This record gives sequence, structure tokens and C-alpha cells, in this order.
Amino acid sequence: MSLAAAAPLLPAIRAAGLHRQRARFMTLCLAPSLAVLVLVTLMPMLYLLATSFTPLNLTNPATAWNFRQPLQNYTLLPNDGRFVNSLWVQAKLSFWTVGLQLLIGIGFALLLNIRSGMLRALRTVFLIPMVLPPIVVAIIWKVLYTPDISPAYWAFHGLGWNVPALITDPTWALPAIIAADTWEWFPLTMLMVLAALQTVPDELLDAARVDGARQWQTTLYVVLPYIRGTLMVAGLFRLIDSIKAFPLIYLLTDGGPGSVTEVTNYYAFEQAFNFSYLGYSSAITVVLVAAALVLSWVIVRVTGWGAVE
Amino acid sequence: MRRDCVFIHALVLLLVALVLAPFLWLLRMSFETNADIFAFPPKLWFAPTLANYAALWHGDFPHSFANSAIVSTVSTVVAMLLGVPAAYALARMRTRSDMLSLWVVASRLAPPTAFAIPYFLAYRDLHLLDTRTGLIIIYLTFNLSLVIWLMRPFFENTPRALEEAAWIDGASFFQAMLRVVLPTAVPGLAATAILCFVFSWNDFFFALILTRSRAMTAPVAVVNFMNYAGWEWGRIAAGGTLVMLPVLVFSLLVRRFLISGLTAGAVKG
Repeated sequence: MSLAAAAPLLPAIRAAGLHRQRARFMTLCLAPSLAVLVLVTLMPMLYLLATSFTPLNLTNPATAWNFRQPLQNYTLLPNDGRFVNSLWVQAKLSFWTVGLQLLIGIGFALLLNIRSGMLRALRTVFLIPMVLPPIVVAIIWKVLYTPDISPAYWAFHGLGWNVPALITDPTWALPAIIAADTWEWFPLTMLMVLAALQTVPDELLDAARVDGARQWQTTLYVVLPYIRGTLMVAGLFRLIDSIKAFPLIYLLTDGGPGSVTEVTNYYAFEQAFNFSYLGYSSAITVVLVAAALVLSWVIVRVTGWGAVE
Repeated sequence: MRRDCVFIHALVLLLVALVLAPFLWLLRMSFETNADIFAFPPKLWFAPTLANYAALWHGDFPHSFANSAIVSTVSTVVAMLLGVPAAYALARMRTRSDMLSLWVVASRLAPPTAFAIPYFLAYRDLHLLDTRTGLIIIYLTFNLSLVIWLMRPFFENTPRALEEAAWIDGASFFQAMLRVVLPTAVPGLAATAILCFVFSWNDFFFALILTRSRAMTAPVAVVNFMNYAGWEWGRIAAGGTLVMLPVLVFSLLVRRFLISGLTAGAVKG
């Protein structure tokens, strides 16, 4: 009798045990990754924050872990002409590269969005610029911008144009970087827009057509508003990546001539690894990280990431 | 309509040629002698030579190339071993992980100096400067989050009934994950591993700062050719071609996943 009463309970007990075991297994799966993430990303970030409060300079050992004037670096920043200039250069670079990449990306996507086997195959070709290692992209453009060996300069010569060496010219150095960066990354916006165009419902297009809208009107007033979410995400991602721009500037202009192509990230690199002012550079970087965090938060919000469906 | 279509095809072909020209020019340069490279006007036809590649083969370049291959492979393997179980656990737990998402995105998007400075300082004390181990560790900063972020949706899409059936048949949780769940996610695993490899291989900044000679990777080695007097353009072009070759092949293999990889999972390609 007692056995018979206990029998239905057994599966329940076993289920509870299983549940605990399963929870333990899941923790075991997750724990090593979280530990490593904390070690390789969180700890360095805290270290960076700590050094940003010190005047750390590798040539002077007394400056390490010296917290006597913790906010000194940050109070220096607004009065540092090169830092302020670098923010302005960064703003110009980001504005033009993001804008051009969105415009060219949308243009090419609309052009390629035709049902045709050949165009479909050609999409893959457009991938090439963005999958090349960034340093190879920089080498390619270094060749194009070097008058002695550049086919472009030979063509200019043939047309009778007298073009200055773009990357050493103060007026043209930044546009030259913008052109190279646009070439490298417009395929990304193009592909994102192409994917989004597939989601525009045909009924919407038909309705516009029935109402007498022309092709360009449909595109401007129906299609583009429909995919604005994708455009937003593409723009934000390119915006954040433009803050990280490095190989092109390093190889093409080294921040020059003068400091016309010296973006903030590049200025931080120079302060840390050319002049050894690691403390000051950390403060610059903390400002950049803060900017990236705000933008990341915007992205998480916009895309509804991490939300449970 | 017919004429429109022909016009669009012609326009697209022209644009493709324009977009590809810079890339093809570098490829061409890698097979030219220095005299041909500086020829003015450029010759349409030239006698291709492998001299630039031969010169690379006999120099230090193979060592740097091997460094790149080893560092990228090991970092990918470590990131997969750690990240795949974590992605599986996250896919099965019903918890909101907004903080984790934000952290993963932020570490993907942080400016490179944010990691370069603390790692440089720590490696000086730990004697990890100019070592492959040092590079492998710093590549985990982006590879580990990438694996977790790309693999989680794959596991969310594998039916739970599969693993539950395996448990009923007496498999342990570990066995069920290894033998039942993972085989269903093989395409995702392959794509994720390839993307990790490509991102590590492409890195220039960290290798530039954290290595000098012994652990120097191929991208840094190519740029170093530029510092020599005389600018050996042929060799630079050949080195650049060798650096981009594996990446091109791999990227085209995973082109379906490229977008979600590059945007850290914000967009499904």
C-alpha cells in the first residue's frame, strides 16, 4: 500500500533532480566563457580607466600608479588644440564616409535589385572590397595615390589634368581617405539594403503603381521609408566603425600633412605609442569608449537585441 | 523595357569593372618586375614573373605567414571551445541578457587603443610582448563575443525535443549536447569558425603594437617592406596578395553569414 502511494511521486522527484542537474550543466557551460570575458575585456577596461587617472609616461617610472591629480588628463583635454582638432577631423570623416556609403549603397542596391541571374552572380563580386584585409585595402590605395606608379595619375596625365599628389596635399588628403574608406565599405550598406529590399511587400508596390506613382516616387516615398530601420542600423554601424579607422590613415597619410587627417583614435595611438604618454592617451580613449558605449546602447535599443521573443 | 534592361546590365558591368580595377591592379603588380611597375605609360602586356614571390619565399616572410596562421587558428579554436557551450546555455536559459548584449557589442565596437594600452602595459610585466600567446589572448577579446553572438541563434533554432529524446534514452547532458545538438549546427559552427579566423588574420593594429619580430604577423611584415629604402613595390604587392588570398577564399565560402558577422549579429544576412 505504501509502495503504491509512493510510486507516482518517483518521476516527480527524479524530474526535480534532473532539473537541478540541468541547471548545474548550463552553469558549467556558461561559467568559463564569462570568466574569460571578464578577464580579457572587463579587466583591461578597468585598467584603462585607472591609467587614465595617472600621468603615466613610460620614460618616467615615477608616473606609474600616481593618483595625486586624478582628473588632470581630463582637464587638459579641452585645452589641447590637437585633441579638439582631431574631434573635428573625426566628425568630417564620419559624416562623409557614412553619408557616401549609404547613398552609394542604396544606389547600387536599387540597381542590382532586378531579377536577373547575371546581376545575382555579380553581387558576389561587390563583396571583394569589404572582405579584403584592411591593410591590403590601404596598400591598394597607396599605390593608386602614388603618382610614379598609379594608373590613375597616368590617366589624369593623358587627359591633360595636373593633379597634385593627393595624400600629401592639405586640401585633398582627407577626401582621399574618405574615397578609399567609401570604396572599402559601401558593399556592406549595399548588401544590407539589398536584403531589406527583398522584404518590401509586392502589394505595397502594386498599390503605389495603381495610384499612378512613378518609379522614382515609389522608391522615394514607399520603398525607402519601409526599409528605414535597416538604413538606420547600417548607418550606426558604419558610424561606430569610422571611429576605429586606422590602417588607411596609418599607411596613406600618417595623420598628416600637419594634422589634417588625424582622427581622435589616431591621435590616441600617437600619444601612447609614439610619445609614450600612456596616461593621457588612456583619457582620450576613455572618451572614445564612452561615445562607443552610447552608440552601442542606441543600437541595442533600435534592433531590440537581447529581448526575449 | 527591354532596352532599359540592357542599359542597366551594361551600367552594372561598368561599375563592377570600376570597383574591381584597384584590386586587380595590385594583383597585376605582384607579377611585374620593378622596371615594369615604373614604366610610363603602363604597358598593356607584360611578361609576368614570379620573382617577387620567390624573393618573399627566401626572406622572413614565410615565418610571419606561419605566425599569422598559427595565431589565427589557435585563437579561433579556443574561442569556439569556450564560446559554443556558452551560446548553447544562453539559448536554453530564459533570462533577459541585455547587459551581456551591451557588453558584447561594446567590446566589438571599442576603439582599438582601448585594449592596446592595457594589454601593452600588462604584457610588459608578464613578458608576453612579441609572443604568439599574447596575440592569441588579445584576439579572444573580439572572437569570444563573436562566437557567442553568432551561435546563440543557431541553437535557439534547434528543436529541444531532440535533446530531450536523447536524455530519455539515458544520454547525459554533455553527451546530448555533443552528439545530438552540435551536429545539427554544423553549418553555423563552420561559418563562425571561418569568421573568427578571418577577423584574427585581418588584424593589423594589435600585431603592430604587441609584436616586434619573433611573433610578427604577415600584415605587419608587408607594411614593413615600405620602410626599406627603395620601396620594393613588387614585393609589397606580392605580400599583399598572399595576405588577402586565404581571406578571399574563406569569405566567399561564408558569404551568406558575412553581414551578420560584420554587424555582430544585429542583422541577419
